Amino acid sequence: MILSLFDQFMSPTLLGVPLIGLALTLPWVLFFQPGARWLNNRLMTLQAMFMNWFVKQIFQPMSLGGHKWAALLMSLMLFLITLNMLGLLPYTFTPTTQLSLNMAFAVPLWLATVIIGMRNQPTHALGHLLPEGTPTALIPVLIVIETISLFIRPLALGVRLTANLTAGHLLIQLIATAAFVLFPMMPSIAILTSILLFLLTLLEIAVAMIQAYVFVLLLSLYLQENV
Amino acid sequence: MPQLNPAPWFAIMVFSWLVFLAVLPPKVLAHYFPNDPTPQSVKKSKSETWTWPWL
Repeated sequence: MILSLFDQFMSPTLLGVPLIGLALTLPWVLFFQPGARWLNNRLMTLQAMFMNWFVKQIFQPMSLGGHKWAALLMSLMLFLITLNMLGLLPYTFTPTTQLSLNMAFAVPLWLATVIIGMRNQPTHALGHLLPEGTPTALIPVLIVIETISLFIRPLALGVRLTANLTAGHLLIQLIATAAFVLFPMMPSIAILTSILLFLLTLLEIAVAMIQAYVFVLLLSLYLQENV
Repeated sequence: MPQLNPAPWFAIMVFSWLVFLAVLPPKVLAHYFPNDPTPQSVKKSKSETWTWPWL
């Protein structure tokens, strides 16, 4: 069997058991659910600080009606950032490289924002399809363009996350393979490649966090338009 | 590209939403920020309590 570089993204199974189930279930043991009597330790303090900061960041510019989404978007952020970051460890599987998972979150949540907008304030929601100050002759074209861009949003959301993480993991695998193969032949080049790999891993850590943030931020923006 | 293989798509969708709805919100909502009463000696009262909206 010839291994291709994309084989790392195949949904892994062991004896017929899909391991993506484990990858989706186990990370949450890292997050405690404090009872009423618990005292905070460092981890819980940090997590609470993160949640506090994140909710303020996303919901300060949001009008009051959108604040109902606080728990949902916070859960989504935790979900994505944990899966992304844990996927950078060796021998782990990143569920967010699967287009199915990302589209499963992007499409329903985007659709929810659109439906909320259409039900509560249909004129205002439809008004987004025509930017202010458009020359009269361009109105039909622009409405078509804006409608297309509206419907591309969930696709873009899902594919952006998938592509970023897939590309990152692919690059890491490529450069690691190169460093490994070069080591017996040209050790100095292999060391340079390893330095490149190290820098790439740092970049991927940043990308993991940023992509999760961007996903949730864009959803909050779509919500802000419609709420 | 193996991600485009349609076989596990539905299972992944269902399972990930299951985990997302059942496991995460309790952990998130358990972090609440209760008010601790302002001592009498302080001139300005502390900020108001905050907890997850609509709950």
